[in-house]
Amino acid sequence: MELTLDRLTKHYGRKIAVDCVSARLGPGVYGLLGANGAGKTTLMRMLCAILEPTSGQVFWDGEDTAAMGAAYRTVLGYLPQDFGYYPGYTASEFLAYIAALKGIPRSIAAGRVRQLLRTVGLQGAADRKLRTFSGGMKQRVGIAQALLNDPQILILDEPTAGLDPKERVHLRNLLADYAGDRIVILSTHIVSDVEAIADRVFVMKDGKFILRGTVPELVRQAEGKVWELSVPADRVRAWQEDFTVVNLRHEGDRAVLRLVADSRPDGHAVPCTPTMEDLYLYHFGAEEA
Amino acid sequence: MELFALEHKKLWRRTGTRLCVALCFVYMVIFCGVLNYQWFGFGSEADATSAFGNYFDGWSQIRASQARAARYGGVLTDETFQRMVADLQRDDAAGLESELGRSERTLFNGWLGQLYPEMEEQDRGLYSILMAYYVDTSQLTGFYARRQAVLEEFLHSQGQGVGPEWELLLGMNERVEEPFRYQWTSGWQLLLGDALPDMGTVMALFLAIVLSSTFAGEWHSGAAALLLTTERGWHSLALVKVLSGLAFTAELFTLLTVGGVAAQLIWLGTAGWDMPIQLIKLLAVAPMNMLQAEIYEYGYALLGALGYAGVVMLLSALVKSNVLALLLSLAAVYGPAIAAQYLPMGAQKALDLLPLVGSSADIFRTNTFRIFGHYIWSPYLLLAVPVLLGLACTPFAVLRWSRRMRT
Repeated sequence: MELTLDRLTKHYGRKIAVDCVSARLGPGVYGLLGANGAGKTTLMRMLCAILEPTSGQVFWDGEDTAAMGAAYRTVLGYLPQDFGYYPGYTASEFLAYIAALKGIPRSIAAGRVRQLLRTVGLQGAADRKLRTFSGGMKQRVGIAQALLNDPQILILDEPTAGLDPKERVHLRNLLADYAGDRIVILSTHIVSDVEAIADRVFVMKDGKFILRGTVPELVRQAEGKVWELSVPADRVRAWQEDFTVVNLRHEGDRAVLRLVADSRPDGHAVPCTPTMEDLYLYHFGAEEA
Repeated sequence: MELFALEHKKLWRRTGTRLCVALCFVYMVIFCGVLNYQWFGFGSEADATSAFGNYFDGWSQIRASQARAARYGGVLTDETFQRMVADLQRDDAAGLESELGRSERTLFNGWLGQLYPEMEEQDRGLYSILMAYYVDTSQLTGFYARRQAVLEEFLHSQGQGVGPEWELLLGMNERVEEPFRYQWTSGWQLLLGDALPDMGTVMALFLAIVLSSTFAGEWHSGAAALLLTTERGWHSLALVKVLSGLAFTAELFTLLTVGGVAAQLIWLGTAGWDMPIQLIKLLAVAPMNMLQAEIYEYGYALLGALGYAGVVMLLSALVKSNVLALLLSLAAVYGPAIAAQYLPMGAQKALDLLPLVGSSADIFRTNTFRIFGHYIWSPYLLLAVPVLLGLACTPFAVLRWSRRMRT
């Protein structure tokens, strides 16, 4: 089982959304990390074969997905970023509708819908109209529909958007459990989600993978670049202008800053153990991120 | 089949759909049917300035008019026409409202004006056209010979007085059975002359509102990307969307037809179904009776609506905005109707072939189309062309939507 991205490129006029991206993905959870506009959604849409690349190809087990058509879609589960729903449908009707679109026989679909509603914690709201659902509940319905056909490739665009902390933890556990021998790709700009479940992480910027690796491998790249120091409170603004401040904590009339910098920013600064968030901010800067 | 059922359910689940169907039913069946029969159409007159001031007694008034008309023996001859007009004059002199009703009186005035114009007394001013009140009934002779002469004169004035077109139209007219069977006509006139020709126009408004979001609505709901990644993808979905739209159109039509026919049977009954349509429009040439005309008009509405549904769904696939799709859909039916007023006759007739732009009332007219040297009576083409045009649009809707989804 292998999903191969071969020099995938997408141009919108003069704008390059995805720039010659290549990778080989086996079973596991992959986190796609990047700021808004980095090209994550465009890349995911090409992986789902709903957007034709300007150049490059996607292969599933060596076969061009563009040529596979419906055969590729049978192994695919997708949650779009702006997941559309039909307000007049109940949750179970909506899932039955998507199941029919996925070609799942009705006899199987009914049980599968019930099971997935339980999985995402919506069994009590199965017969409620979607228009009455909160953002988090709709997102959970979206995740359920992506899982309907038990896909071998699960692509989730910002799956944790709108979820409360408890729901996020539940989803992370669900995906980690689901991954097993499947490929799960999720994009997010919430670093902690990726840090918690991704086996490998791709960091995207300006349509390119600028970093790739496991979380420890990537974090290691930020070693020696994360610092902590105490400064007078009235000097905080000056420090923020000169450095990317990851964290700020006030202690009396002083402030403790955690910042990223290539070299020791001050004689009193002490090196810290880096995290994914530090690495992310190192590359994107506090404002861009 | 299952996907079709779910897509169809999705269409009906929308609040807008239900509201449109309810409004359409209320207007066509309740307002143009039930209330028209019982109140402002045939209710007895209480306020001469407005039909809405009528009494709510249409059912009994219709019964009385039908019973009165039945006294004339069921056939329209010179003698029965003379008796009818004479009775009307007698009732008027006695200060009574004729039991035949106001609309039947209007019909007689129309016949008299067309067939006996020399009897019009101009010095009566505005009242000169109300000939039924003053003509000498003994001179009302030669009804059918006069009709034939007026028809031929009319065809000449329309430039249809020579060649195969003349032969076609007069050939049709020869098959009209004379003397005409006569029952009370006003109910059929209201139905075939006013209500049913409006059915397509009214349906168009509501079909546009409901179906313009068929494809464009998927962009609005943000579901397009999701739908494309399903195994059946856009192929099956686009097909079931088109089928659902056509099914909805047929269901709306059925609802209106069942309601309309039920109201017709309750208020008007079946009397006079075999009368020729020439009683409504004297110069019509089609050898059709009222029932055949009613079937034609319902058929025209159904086929036109199906054709229009196809056009609306194509427009829905061409754009991503619900509002724009709706405006284009409305323009597709009302635009040509408005533009036709400023166009030459040939262009007007061509526009009439667009779905629901023409009128089912063409069965009362002598319009023809000349195709490859052959003259074809317009109602045949008005029945066939709109639905074929609409159905031809559906594959393009599917293709356009799918292509657009991938860009």
